[in-house]
Amino acid sequence: MDYLIFSISLMLVYIGLAQLLHIQFGLAGIPNFGVVGFWGLGLYGTGVLYVKLALPLLPSIVMASLLAAVVAYVVAHLVLQRSGQAILAATLALAAIISTLVVSEKDITGGVQGLGTIRFPFSDLDQSNLIFMIMLLVVVCTLLWISGKLRDSRLGRQLVAIRDNEELAASLGKDTAASKRWVFAITCGLMGVLGGMSAPLHQFLVPYQLAPSLTFAVWIALVLGGKGHNLGAIVGVFVTFGLFDILIETYAPVPAEQAILLPNFKLFCYGVLLVMIIMFRPLGILGVDKPRVRAVPKPVPGGHSKPSVEEVEP
Amino acid sequence: MKLEATNLTKAYHAHEVVNIEKVTFGAGGLEGLIGPNGAGKSTLMGLLTRRIAPTSGTINLHSDDKTHALNPLRSHQVARIGLIKTNQRIQGFDSLTIRDSLRLAATPPRSEGFTSLFSRQRDSEEIEEKVSRLVEAFPFTDRNGYAMSGGEKKLLDILRCLISEPKLLLMDEPTAGLPEDITRSVMDMVRERVLAGHMRVVVVEHDLPLIWEYCDYVHFLSEGAILFEGAPEEVKANRVVAEKYMGV
Amino acid sequence: MLLLDAIFIGLLEASPLILAAMGFTLIYYLNGFMNIAFAESITYGAYFAILFNIVLGTHFYIAIIPSMLMSGALSVVVYLAIFRPALNRGVGPTEMIILSVGVSFMLRYGLILLVGPENMFLNEPSIKYLQFFGMGATNLQLIALALVLLAAGTLYWMIYNTGLGEQMRGLANNRDLAMASGINPHRTSVAIWFIAGCAGGLSGVFTGVFAQVAPYMGWNVILITMLVTIVAGVGSVRGAVVAAVAAGILSAFITLVTKPLYAEVVLLTAFIGVLTFRGARTA
Repeated sequence: MDYLIFSISLMLVYIGLAQLLHIQFGLAGIPNFGVVGFWGLGLYGTGVLYVKLALPLLPSIVMASLLAAVVAYVVAHLVLQRSGQAILAATLALAAIISTLVVSEKDITGGVQGLGTIRFPFSDLDQSNLIFMIMLLVVVCTLLWISGKLRDSRLGRQLVAIRDNEELAASLGKDTAASKRWVFAITCGLMGVLGGMSAPLHQFLVPYQLAPSLTFAVWIALVLGGKGHNLGAIVGVFVTFGLFDILIETYAPVPAEQAILLPNFKLFCYGVLLVMIIMFRPLGILGVDKPRVRAVPKPVPGGHSKPSVEEVEP
Repeated sequence: MKLEATNLTKAYHAHEVVNIEKVTFGAGGLEGLIGPNGAGKSTLMGLLTRRIAPTSGTINLHSDDKTHALNPLRSHQVARIGLIKTNQRIQGFDSLTIRDSLRLAATPPRSEGFTSLFSRQRDSEEIEEKVSRLVEAFPFTDRNGYAMSGGEKKLLDILRCLISEPKLLLMDEPTAGLPEDITRSVMDMVRERVLAGHMRVVVVEHDLPLIWEYCDYVHFLSEGAILFEGAPEEVKANRVVAEKYMGV
Repeated sequence: MLLLDAIFIGLLEASPLILAAMGFTLIYYLNGFMNIAFAESITYGAYFAILFNIVLGTHFYIAIIPSMLMSGALSVVVYLAIFRPALNRGVGPTEMIILSVGVSFMLRYGLILLVGPENMFLNEPSIKYLQFFGMGATNLQLIALALVLLAAGTLYWMIYNTGLGEQMRGLANNRDLAMASGINPHRTSVAIWFIAGCAGGLSGVFTGVFAQVAPYMGWNVILITMLVTIVAGVGSVRGAVVAAVAAGILSAFITLVTKPLYAEVVLLTAFIGVLTFRGARTA
């Protein structure tokens, strides 16, 4: 049971990260390949504040997330107005810098020896892991709700316009650089929150956790589920992490010698799925979703019209 | 609002493409800019929209007693001051419907911040009305959907510019790609707004009858310089213009 | 003297990287996207070398050739089966990179499923330790350096002095015009992907013999390969060589002076700096 709670908690973190990536890439068109870097700033930032400075968990998470947001804002100023490939490469490089610094600055971070132990809040209670899972659930549901609101809002529409044709949006008066910067900084800060909340989950932090595999797992999940759909993250994570890491690894009857190869088989399948999706269904399993907006009725002379929800089909 | 270029030159490898001592756009209501092929119209448009950097000279925007040098400004700043240009090549937002595209252009950037997530209604009645008026006035195939053909996309581009209520609108060859009746409807709408004092317009065009019909003032560009400017009748009657342009 | 040491060590250590950067750049130049799966050209090159050198018992120097050629062939297969169809479907540059990550995963984890995750070792030929002006190098490293210079020279000659190179540059600069003037894009592309795969494979063979052969060896260097290519700018094989050499020297220099990890951080930060200041602004 404990293992299931742990797995579900991990899965919730992945869903949250994928949802934030949906906002960054699916809505705003920013290809962030440094997800593990911002999550890692939250993770290790929280760890260092909690372990070395004995700060309580919540303020540690808040401060670590602010650090992630600030770093994101600086990076945004540097590279967000360059090409998609440049942003991809720069964010990838940033994540590598962060993981390298965590190893090299071992006086602060514990280096390869690791950093610990970070406990759940209410750790004296028996069910503290379950309580924490529910806290994660609340956070992730809030993220999903905010993401939906964003899609339906004027800001969301501006982001989609920027993604489709940034120059045109700017020529109509939209400060595209500022919008992208703020959205990027805030969503990366939220990735930091998820990182901070992952600290008590892992309990003991090691630099290996900052490897790019987390970034790729999140990307694969999002692309699979549908980068442009508000629920793409959930579906994608269910189909990858949920299916493989939870269902198959935990419950499938596989003999011991082959069980070691299972993670490699999983990653092989991810590769195959990713190739299939990009080639044959680039919008992912769920495709695109449209903003849900209350339509203003066209004035009909002498008649009454009720406002209806307009969901525009192509 | 006026757009003024002084001593503006652009040269590519010592070959001068544009050399204008002084030209002012926006002083005379609905203006036209004409010239034969190769006169430098596209280059001039590029200079006026900062797509191309000048070799020398200055371009200034005069608005509300304030003067802004054009080149250091960024695209969105230029638009916010009130200068907007239609696109010669088809440009659009593929994911947005016709109405959404217009709503986007009509919405001021200051109401597109984070607080917009918590508005009860995405677009106000006022904006919906403006959008509807424009959309209903033109024969789009699917008014509640997307712009279908190249012509519809071109028209939508022009309407986007109109709905953002510019102070000075540059129209870059608006007839290209549009059927004549649509162009007339657009130009009628444009003339209405100019007469009501809401904006000034400069139309760059090859279609001379359109220019003679709608413009109050015409600039004639040839070989990179403004050779003549004046009221349509004057320009039509001018011998230099006739020689260079109409091959008389 | 520190600088000379750094240059020498840098060149030696950079030789596999220079090869990898050349191959990576070729594909970037021709097709316009960064092929992360190129990492597997490097890895498979080393594993093909294991096949010939260990399994079949061939002498190392002889095993280099078929290993390189098979790596080139693999590259062509991947191009024809996946990347060309994707490009024909109009997949954009960012999505192509994501696709290449998928291909990379398929190749790497497929390899692990086939041969296992353990490190393997190539049979090195006899090592002679040589001295140059007070600096040491093995004959193997010098041969690697020599091969790199040979490969770089050949590649340079090919790109700027042969018909194939002209065709590639034509296709890269203006595809429609190139095709209209009779260039067959399919044959040219296949040839380029083959050459790129060979360069990667050769890089892998030498990385493998200097250290060990492991499934992650290509993946581990793809980031720095990407860096070097981007710093060099699209389409400059010259630039890629220069940037790879510079990266090797800089890395060696910093390693000699401070911790090796800082070398990485400095390189990566410099990389972000290059990305910031070069390239067109989008609005």
